[in-house]
Amino acid sequence: MGKSAPQQGDLVVALAQIATCPGQLRRNLDRHLEMVAKALEAGAHLVVFPELSVSGYLLAHGVLEHALRLDDPLLSPLLDASRRAAILVGLPLREAHGGISNAAVLLEGGEIRGVHRKLYLPTYGMFDEGRYFIPGPRLEPITCSLGRFGVLICEDAWHLSSSAILSRADLDAFIVISGGPSELDLGGEPASGRRWHWILGAVAITTVTPVFFTNRCGWEEGVLFGGASWAVDPRGATIAGPAPALEESLLVARLSRAAAARARTLTPIPCAERLELWSTATERRDA
Amino acid sequence: MLELPPVNVQLLARALEVFLVEELRASGLAGYLVGLSGGVDSAVSAALAAAAVGPEKVRALALPGATSSLESLRDAQAVAKAFGLALDVVDLASPAEILAETLGARADRVRFGNMMARLRMVALFDRARPVPALVLGTSNKSEILLGYSTLFGDAAASVQPLGDVWKTHIFALARTLGVPDSIVAKPPTADLWPGQTDAGELGFDYPTVDPVLYWHHEGGLGRDELVASGSSPALVDSALAAYRRNRFKWRPTVVARVSASCINVDRILPRNPER
Repeated sequence: MGKSAPQQGDLVVALAQIATCPGQLRRNLDRHLEMVAKALEAGAHLVVFPELSVSGYLLAHGVLEHALRLDDPLLSPLLDASRRAAILVGLPLREAHGGISNAAVLLEGGEIRGVHRKLYLPTYGMFDEGRYFIPGPRLEPITCSLGRFGVLICEDAWHLSSSAILSRADLDAFIVISGGPSELDLGGEPASGRRWHWILGAVAITTVTPVFFTNRCGWEEGVLFGGASWAVDPRGATIAGPAPALEESLLVARLSRAAAARARTLTPIPCAERLELWSTATERRDA
Repeated sequence: MLELPPVNVQLLARALEVFLVEELRASGLAGYLVGLSGGVDSAVSAALAAAAVGPEKVRALALPGATSSLESLRDAQAVAKAFGLALDVVDLASPAEILAETLGARADRVRFGNMMARLRMVALFDRARPVPALVLGTSNKSEILLGYSTLFGDAAASVQPLGDVWKTHIFALARTLGVPDSIVAKPPTADLWPGQTDAGELGFDYPTVDPVLYWHHEGGLGRDELVASGSSPALVDSALAAYRRNRFKWRPTVVARVSASCINVDRILPRNPER
């Protein structure tokens, strides 16, 4: 994990909402590099891709074939590109002692700055992640030269404890990446976009921390993904997006660090979080 | 009274078009081939495909048999014209008679009807090969849940864009996509013998049964709760009987697992990996 001091000034984050293809890693990688190039033209400091962006989401047992180690040569072009902007990607990570994690990897300056392993693996309804992945062992921020980020992968954010715990770590922002499927109802956008709006808005407002959210779009194996990537400020106002649900797109979000710090000063909600109430409740339940 | 939740039909159409674009790209093939029956399902499938990948990449076949109505062929031609599709007519009457005679199936209208549905499947997959094209399915969720289809016949396709869409919503899709009114308005029929209609065979029409199926299949209501919600006992019993009786069609075949690497059980893999 990087130790460099966070930069000052605005933070420009590009949300690269791509339609990944399961098992087509070279194609997916090309899409990454194309999006990074566009993001650089837009002046982005950080480019954020969806969950399992390198491999595709519905790999199922294909993770056995497509899981990567962090030193896999396939990642070299991304590491090279990370010399010009930090890049957060999702991939199935082959662990040294066995098992495969659903991981978010932050690359910067040609190096791996940090890894978050998905904590909550949904295994219900259409989801079967617990069958293919092992859960992450810990929740801690990832730091690079741009700042300190709370990285969450999809279902992690549906457990509000994740953001409450991370909010104690002096974050600059949350980065939430997702491969969120959706159904359609009477709404003008896929139903998942509505749910993400409420969840991410609640995360931002209750932790007084900006949230950058990149979801994937498109179809895999007959499953529709809901897009609607979005950036929201610490008071719940939209910075960029939401992106169109059905199309690949690149959203560029400019965050004023000064404004974010001012919001935290005026509304210090996370500082008052009484985590001892949580531990007391947990102890009582386990007694 | 139970109701089927509405859906945003414009968004549904756009989403299914993106699906058809992606499936064609992932397959690496040149286009779609659709069998036009003259009914609303195949009209909607064809319209979606034409909008998705362009009418020049969608070919249509009309496959009449000896018992098909002339109206069906006219409606198939109307659909092809409406969406700019090249339509070939392949008359299956003669080969159907020969095969039925050979098999001894002519006197049984269900056997003959199933045979016709499977002959159409043979024609579609054969004509798809030289293009090469994906065979565009036309099955809808209501008929799949009820099992009202011929296994390896009309249920056979490369992709099924409407397989999770209620028939009630397909009528709405048809109106949105510009399917000719006469096709949307006529009673659904498999057209396997003169005078056949879906409602005549099933005992109910789709707008009536769709809410029952939805609230059972997705909403989790049991038989007594469905009746207590205002649906007639006869309708509920009839619909649920078909829902149970024909469930084997949802998975057309089952493989005997005798290893730790059984395909689609122990090894579920993406269909289109990098080549």
